[in-house]
Amino acid sequence: MELEERARDSADNCIACTSCVAVCPVTKANPDYRGPKLVGPAHNRMHFSDESDYEDSLKLCSNCKNCDITCPNGVSVATLNMLERAKYYKAHPEKHTQADQMLSHNFQMADMLKSIPFGRTCANIGMSIGEAMGMMGAMGIAPQRKSPRFATKYFREMYKEIKQPEGLTKEVLFFPGCFIDVNDPEVGVAFVKVMNANGYKVLMDDRFKCCGSPLVVGGYLDEARSHADNNVAIINEYAAKNIPVIACCTSCSLMLKAEYTELFAQEEMAQAAKNVYDAFEFLTILAEKGELKKVHVSSDKKFIYHAPCHLRAQGMGMPAVDLLKEIGVNIDSADAGCCGMSGSYGFHKENYETSMKIGSELFDKINASGAHKVVCDCGTCREQIKHGTNAKTTHPIQVLAKAYEQ
Amino acid sequence: MVKDKATVVVVGGGATGVGILRDLSMRGIDALLIEKLDMVNGASSRYHGLLHSGARYAVRDQEAAKECIEENTILRRIGKSCVEAISGMFVQVEGDDPDFVDPWVKGCAESGIKTRELSKEEAWSLEPNLSRKLVRAFEVPDGAIDGFRMSWQNVQSAVRYGGRYKTYTELIKINIESGAVKSITVRDNVTKEEYDIECEILVNAAGPWAGKVAQMAGLDCSVSPSKGTLIAFNQRISNRVVNRLRKPSNGDIFVPHGSITILGTSSITIPDPEDTSTSWEEVEELMKTGEGVFEHLRDYRILRVFAGSRPLYVPKGADGGRNASRGFVTLDHEKEDGLKGMMTICGGKFTTYRLMAEKFCDVLAPKLGNTAKCRTAEEDLVPAVSEADKKAARQYFPSYGVNLAATRLGTEKFPEVVKTLKENPETREVLCECENVTMAEVMRIAQEPTSHSVADVRRRTRLGMGTCQGNYCAIRSAAIANKLFKDKLEGCGDSLSDMKNFLQARWKGITPVMAGKTLREAEMTRGMYEVLFNVNGGRR
Repeated sequence: MELEERARDSADNCIACTSCVAVCPVTKANPDYRGPKLVGPAHNRMHFSDESDYEDSLKLCSNCKNCDITCPNGVSVATLNMLERAKYYKAHPEKHTQADQMLSHNFQMADMLKSIPFGRTCANIGMSIGEAMGMMGAMGIAPQRKSPRFATKYFREMYKEIKQPEGLTKEVLFFPGCFIDVNDPEVGVAFVKVMNANGYKVLMDDRFKCCGSPLVVGGYLDEARSHADNNVAIINEYAAKNIPVIACCTSCSLMLKAEYTELFAQEEMAQAAKNVYDAFEFLTILAEKGELKKVHVSSDKKFIYHAPCHLRAQGMGMPAVDLLKEIGVNIDSADAGCCGMSGSYGFHKENYETSMKIGSELFDKINASGAHKVVCDCGTCREQIKHGTNAKTTHPIQVLAKAYEQ
Repeated sequence: MVKDKATVVVVGGGATGVGILRDLSMRGIDALLIEKLDMVNGASSRYHGLLHSGARYAVRDQEAAKECIEENTILRRIGKSCVEAISGMFVQVEGDDPDFVDPWVKGCAESGIKTRELSKEEAWSLEPNLSRKLVRAFEVPDGAIDGFRMSWQNVQSAVRYGGRYKTYTELIKINIESGAVKSITVRDNVTKEEYDIECEILVNAAGPWAGKVAQMAGLDCSVSPSKGTLIAFNQRISNRVVNRLRKPSNGDIFVPHGSITILGTSSITIPDPEDTSTSWEEVEELMKTGEGVFEHLRDYRILRVFAGSRPLYVPKGADGGRNASRGFVTLDHEKEDGLKGMMTICGGKFTTYRLMAEKFCDVLAPKLGNTAKCRTAEEDLVPAVSEADKKAARQYFPSYGVNLAATRLGTEKFPEVVKTLKENPETREVLCECENVTMAEVMRIAQEPTSHSVADVRRRTRLGMGTCQGNYCAIRSAAIANKLFKDKLEGCGDSLSDMKNFLQARWKGITPVMAGKTLREAEMTRGMYEVLFNVNGGRR
């Protein structure tokens, strides 16, 4: 019952204070966006007047969640926008672009390529040719960008080859998420090393599907629901065995922890959320209990940290940067707001300019920092940072894994 | 000094008055309506906004029920720009008298009101917020009607037939010579000028003030103002009118009305119709009953609470209150009291305002030798803006803004506003973000000769009537008011005082319900205006 109320009352809680407009990175960068307050809670009251109408600038929302973070009354503004976007595409499926289709369904492409011999290598070559010939723009993807390449071995394949130490009694279930699985599997490898070093065996479950975040922003809500139901059932299955579920991607963990419940208001989703942790959140809990493996880093190589919006939306501070500082890593937070990528948002051709404008503050801070690497928990943030600054990037779990190797 | 004359002067700009003005004008009778404040200031805007199907009266008063369903059908046809053509539901919940249902179903059938019983599952799927303690549910043709738009549209219709109106014009004296009304003395409440208007017949349609008007002619007309308190919620809790299926009582009716829901009402006999005060106790009583229908009612945000007084006519020796008749009475003072040239119409219901006017004018017209038939049911109140024009205008309006603006503005002003929006993109700014009102529309309504304050603009646009209750639009419209009301502000001072009056009126409705989400909003208003803008100049 409590759940229903939260979902039902979300827009009703808005006091029109306009804080969300003040912090919205999109509104600041692109005046065509009418802003989270108007497009979300305010329009929510007006839909009755014309079922056939829709807000054109709704498509400009990046779902970065800065509105939700700032709202003093707990309105899930971005989720209201996503629900509205889904309603629009349900009525107008023909309005989906090729880019929507591709960027929301990358997991399908990844599975397909895996099943074809040399599929991934060919796809990567194809992407290079496509980018060089300027074909990406025709598909609605920003031609300025370099799309993330498919790893020749996905994490799910690499995992099977990893020999975890014998005799580990404690277990965690890893939710790799699409980006780590197919584009950046080394993050997953580093995660297994860190967990093993702390006495945990890392489990995988092949039944997991994409968390659904790209589907939600693309307006494919029904598909996202089926992914949510699938994943939630698995999480609860492990919860019954006291095995926590851990993600290294902050957009995945936000989806599993909060967005499923906001979007679909199901009791079992709220239940599952309690069993999901971000990797550094979990490690911080271990540290607080005195169970985290002790290590000290003596190198003074300088890092700069970017906190992903979807991490900040989880309301748990910045566990990665705190923990790395604690073990002696020379790292500071850039504290420069949103990077502008927001998952697949910045890959859309029409969002490119807005995306880069939003990221400019972060780019400037990184360029001026003199850091040798940028640390960030989010894969697409790292893509944006590489694109906007040419800096080297890494996931904090990789920094920690390296510290353990010393 | 005689400054004006009309064959008939109608006193009172509520539903009754505007209905009579339209009816007389359509019969070709020269009529002038006067209203002491802005149009629709009394009971006609301080009510549910319910277009009765008659089902509420089906057991106790079948005559009223029959009138309601007939008028409901007519208004759905002629009032497309002010009626929200939704349906209604009567619901019985655990604890309600089960024996009430059969006579009610029978009463509806005998009155010509179609009812259809819904299974509980069907009722919940149509209205998911309905209580899980639901026992039985019936569908009825209840609807919603906007008092502001309906009244102005009657006036506009009357004007097309030569009818005239004066707002902020208050009756202060009835001048009688040799047993007949010769003229009235009025005061212009903006300029404070006093002057006389000659007339052959004076119509007292002052609603709950009818007793006071009658007194000016030395007559006794027993009107018992009965105060009804209503609660406005921030959103549509249902998409249908929801009535409690039981003997009519307080807090029984929910009406989804545009972006909000109105719950009401109480019925308290009061001595003075000016008394529109409300209290926490009245709100609590309504909420307690309302929870029977929507069990999570207290989770919904209350916008404000307001009250109006019904003009219940009490025949000598009878009680007032809920047991007084909702029917109406025509008093011909020539017959009743030997005073020529004055008639009073008293009581009645909003839903049957047109029929009341028809029956009243059937008595009045022959006195002037006019034998024309009533035609008010035959013609639409106002022509509707065409779908093609609305579609073409979409690009200039905020989303979800065209339909509402088109029904508010009508075929004359809508194209003007579209032109402004088109030529001056700056005016596309949404001045009231909660109710989606553009700067162009506010500017256009401000230019009406009847607009003297932002509150007048509010009644015609819904400016400031949504979630934030004027927080943002008060300051924005004050800037516009300063430009547009410059010549007309004599009556209400400068634009800063006007802004403060506007906010004060919002405040009045918020004070009795200042808790929870409503309190948070109020604190923000206080912070903005008292602290940030220091509108009170630091004085306590």
